[in-house]
Amino acid sequence: METAVGTRPFAHRSEAEFAQILDFYGIRWEYEATAFPLSHHRDGRVASRFAPDFYLPEINLWVELTTIRQTLMRQKRRKLRRFTALYPDLRIKLLGANDIKALMWKYQRSARGVVGPSGSTTPPRRREERVGEVAA
Amino acid sequence: MSSARSNNPHDDIDEVLIDEAAIQARVKELGAEIASAYGGGEPLVLVSVLKGSLIFVADLMRAIPGNVVIDLMEVSSYGGGNTESSGTVRILKDLSGTIEGRDVVIVEDIIDTGLTLNYLMGYLGGKSPRSIRIVTLLNKPARRLVDLKVDWTGFEIPDKFVVGYGLDFGETYRNLRYVGVLKRELYASLLGES
Repeated sequence: METAVGTRPFAHRSEAEFAQILDFYGIRWEYEATAFPLSHHRDGRVASRFAPDFYLPEINLWVELTTIRQTLMRQKRRKLRRFTALYPDLRIKLLGANDIKALMWKYQRSARGVVGPSGSTTPPRRREERVGEVAA
Repeated sequence: MSSARSNNPHDDIDEVLIDEAAIQARVKELGAEIASAYGGGEPLVLVSVLKGSLIFVADLMRAIPGNVVIDLMEVSSYGGGNTESSGTVRILKDLSGTIEGRDVVIVEDIIDTGLTLNYLMGYLGGKSPRSIRIVTLLNKPARRLVDLKVDWTGFEIPDKFVVGYGLDFGETYRNLRYVGVLKRELYASLLGES
């Protein structure tokens, strides 16, 4: 089962929660709007891509949420370093579990199920594929 | 494991992050800095964003030499008691007076994501003030999502869960005279840690 805001499905509850927060404050967003090539094969085909979770067009900011395992967080950080090296003019922010917890504290809402693997609405295999697909 | 707050709010504080003397000294400096940024003319309008900035604005306005007026605003917070999380931000208390043609300073207790302030800047900007600037007691730039020009900052603070001097957790601790870090066991369950 996937979590939805309006008609948009999200891979993780933290993403749905984040989308709701943006909606609440009237910040326009796009979900996984663009997949940026990160590396290429010798023949020019794209070897890996990175699709940040959110793009906020009014403030020109890309946002990636990671609330699951530390190993995946490390992978994402590597990807982000590659992303910023390749696309230095694009602004991107990585929100980790602590950032989501801080949002939950701020709005005094329970983070249970929003942070961590229990919040995932994507089957584990598909999740790994998604991460692998965009790994640098 | 989660635990209940104690009868003495000081007992729930793990660490005093900014003590009363440091706050008062900085507020005095902020008052002088704000005053020097404006000439004479009509009194400066301080817009306090309730409820967190109430204590700060009370001290700040007394630290500003010259004429100031205050007005109060309250906006609904995401997930707040009377709001649906799927709704949109609402003005719970609007300004009492007009700010058209006036110099306005928005007074915040803390700025982190900047989402509320971004909304307020748009809302107040629509009322045609001569200028809008921002003063905040606490600033957490590491949490920022929306870039905003913060004109005056009392203290930049680390990513800790703080209460006191107007800042609350579950509507309590606002009356502490200092800014302190709340004991983690009091909100561990909220963070899904117990």
